[in-house]
Amino acid sequence: MRLGRAIGLAISLALFSALPVRAQAAPTVVTTIAQIGQPLGEIAGACAHVESLLGEGVDPHLYQPTRADMKRLLAADLVLANGQNLEAGLRRALDALAAQKKVAYLTEALDRTRLLPWSDHHADPHVWMDPQMWRDALTFGVAKVAALAPGCAAPMTARMHGYMNRLDALDRYIAAAIASIPAERRVLVTAHDAFAYFGRRYQLELQGVQGISTESEAGLARIQQMVAILVARQLPAVFVETSVSDRLVKALIEGAAAAGQTVRIGGTLFSDAMGAPGSYRGTYVGMLDHNATTIARALGGRADGFSPELARN
Amino acid sequence: MLDALLLSAGYNAAVAMIGATLLGVAAGPVGVFMLLRRRALLADAASHATLPGIVLAFLVNLWLTGEGRSLPVLLAGAGAAAALGVLAVQALQANSRLSGPTAIAVVLSGAFGLGVVGLSYVQTLPVAGQAGLDQFLVGQTAGMRLADAYLIAGVAAVLVVVIALLFKELRLIAFDPEFAAAAGWPVQRLDLLANGLLLATVVVGLTSVGLVLIVAMLIIPAVTARLWTQKLGRMALLAAAFGGVSAYLGAAASAGIHHLPTGATIVLAAAALFAVSLPIAPLSRPRRAPTALEPPV
Amino acid sequence: MNPFLAIDLPALLIAIAASVACALPGSLLVLRGQALLGDALSHMVLPGIVVAFLATGRIASGPMLLGALAAGLVGAGLIALVRRAAKLEASAAMGLVFTVLFALGVVLLETEAARKVDLDLNHALYGHLEAALWLEPRAWSDLAAPSIWLTAPRPLLMLVPVALALAVLLVLAYKELRLASFDPDYATLQGFRPRLIDFALTAATTLAAVAAFEAVGSILVIALLTCPAAIARLCTDRLGAHIGFSVLFATIIAVIGYNSAAQLETSGSGTIAAVGGLAVALAVIVRRLRLRVKPPVASPGNGPNTAVRPLRPGSA
Repeated sequence: MRLGRAIGLAISLALFSALPVRAQAAPTVVTTIAQIGQPLGEIAGACAHVESLLGEGVDPHLYQPTRADMKRLLAADLVLANGQNLEAGLRRALDALAAQKKVAYLTEALDRTRLLPWSDHHADPHVWMDPQMWRDALTFGVAKVAALAPGCAAPMTARMHGYMNRLDALDRYIAAAIASIPAERRVLVTAHDAFAYFGRRYQLELQGVQGISTESEAGLARIQQMVAILVARQLPAVFVETSVSDRLVKALIEGAAAAGQTVRIGGTLFSDAMGAPGSYRGTYVGMLDHNATTIARALGGRADGFSPELARN
Repeated sequence: MLDALLLSAGYNAAVAMIGATLLGVAAGPVGVFMLLRRRALLADAASHATLPGIVLAFLVNLWLTGEGRSLPVLLAGAGAAAALGVLAVQALQANSRLSGPTAIAVVLSGAFGLGVVGLSYVQTLPVAGQAGLDQFLVGQTAGMRLADAYLIAGVAAVLVVVIALLFKELRLIAFDPEFAAAAGWPVQRLDLLANGLLLATVVVGLTSVGLVLIVAMLIIPAVTARLWTQKLGRMALLAAAFGGVSAYLGAAASAGIHHLPTGATIVLAAAALFAVSLPIAPLSRPRRAPTALEPPV
Repeated sequence: MNPFLAIDLPALLIAIAASVACALPGSLLVLRGQALLGDALSHMVLPGIVVAFLATGRIASGPMLLGALAAGLVGAGLIALVRRAAKLEASAAMGLVFTVLFALGVVLLETEAARKVDLDLNHALYGHLEAALWLEPRAWSDLAAPSIWLTAPRPLLMLVPVALALAVLLVLAYKELRLASFDPDYATLQGFRPRLIDFALTAATTLAAVAAFEAVGSILVIALLTCPAAIARLCTDRLGAHIGFSVLFATIIAVIGYNSAAQLETSGSGTIAAVGGLAVALAVIVRRLRLRVKPPVASPGNGPNTAVRPLRPGSA
């Protein structure tokens, strides 16, 4: 059976690769998170149908796999996932599909030493927070897609270079924006530590109130310690995340106010989910731009926005 | 640690300690009535029932305003759904021979299942603001603000006054609902009132200290008080005292010692009071048979 | 590729196996006023997960399952202990023990090693019905070969033996269970040990629940332990029929729920749980209409309807 399919595939490839690009049936690529699917769709263009199981605004912690999603996975010629247990809810389906060799994990293409270890077997999955690492991860993904659309190599490579150049420029923009924050204020205070890669890349100190699990809970000693940090370092802002309740952060503000330090909410950052689909913040570049610009402006740095979309009015 | 006990470990610690203590004092007596009414885990069902309300409120708000996430709207949805959940438990029990725990488990799982269905629908919509929807309203003790503490104080005062005024009636439906009904008491309405007290505690508790702590505060102090006395008045007072003391000590410990999550530490403090009471309290000895008036609960 | 064979068949089989595995102990739990054990277990497993992570340094389903099972058993033992020592109704004891164990888990989560790791229960333990794809059978005829069943998704391979073992246990201990459920005093006189049976039942429930958590997630387990048995409770007073009806209704609810989820494109576990809740409501309404009697005004809260023979043991 499998042999038959393979032969059929070989014949069809041989037949179609001689034809012009447009006549070839574009392969279907399904990605788990939109941080993979959105850039890849841009790069692949008409060379592949790229769709994400999790839409731009969907939080991986809340995601419920449905039968419709399984049908999309089965129909896919290639499945691209993040890995590092981010897709725990889909693990079984991905394992089953991996037996057919059509699943690739982007973070596993990266050198292990670049990942921040969480346990013996897996690392912090939020790799997309570092555009340089995500650039390499996406390059790996693009290569996988290109292998399915051999006739499309040239336009895809061109688009990829364009996109990667944009990521490099974004990386420089973020570095400059964060560096413009006065050194002693380069501290990101959030409810929990989802920004480890971001902090490492741009030398931003991270202070999360609680552990990263949904079930984890903050202690008062930690709250008081964080308030002391806010006051001692005169931090002007703390940040809310889209996927976590803002109550802890608001309590820090009140605590600092009681100690005579005015702190405000610097803005809402995208940690797991991105912005609204179709909007600039719903793109990978827009998500990082938004985060970096919001942080830099709130902490007293200079940031005009990587895109004019985020320029100050 | 001593600083913490004397409320001088800082602003946040002081607010959380006072707020949690007041909530413990209020939840204790409410828990006693729930325990005697065999509805110890009704709060759990009410809390789980908030999920479909939150999702529906998100969808309605999205449809009306184009923006799903709004604190007052989601809070209203959660409160209404919790109330419906409590009414559903009451209706199941009144109209069938299902026992309290069974009715509670049915409503808890059915409602939460509806919520999950809603979440799996929302995730197909191209909208932002759905991330963390399930946790949006859930509070943490350590994140308590002054406004939360005031709200708790207000609700606690109302609860205490209502319980004090209607103590006789509540006692009757707690111990002998059949007799109360036969004697012409409005049992249904009193039951509704008792459930209303619970609902107020749950909604305030859920948003200020989270699900597990509010369930624990409604059960553990009441259970501990019942080890010490069979008189309802004393039981309610003792439960209030145990609830307040464990909240105060737990919050103080979490302010004085690093890496102790506040709500969880309060639960452990309440459990410690129970564990200490168990071997020494007069009513926990197995030889003592329960009386007809006060059945085992 | 046949999508029914790859997606629907394994999901339906797992849903049915989970239904049977949960409805068997669930039917007895409902009779004994312990319907909330599933909810308690879904919280009590947390410290087990965290300890398994702290001990092994990895998030893998083997250690997590064992940790969850161990925590569940410890919790079930504590519930029995607290119930007896403090003379408590089952759900009060459950509420006490599950909040305390969960709180313990939350404290452990803040330890240095666990703080940075996502030990979310949804990540570490709970599974999803739909995610169990079965790609090996390519045609219906393939299912005729016994060897293909060894390639079935792991949740199915785990739940079927659990369900069978529970069924065998139930048959073997039927007489004891019946006595212990309906007349514990007489059972004691006869030399049976209700407490031992009680613990055996909770242990069996824990095993079934933890296996099913990993296959279909917590909410469906809580629903399957309760809703079918609640409907059966409205239909019969005989223990054997009660258990049989529970299993039957569980299967029907699972199939209807899964099909609704497929039509609505919603979560299978959530939809089945919601269908279970609605089925109970429907059963109560139908029963009221059939009885055509006004409910007794007495005890709107807790008492059994006096129009039917009270079956719950001991505590009414």
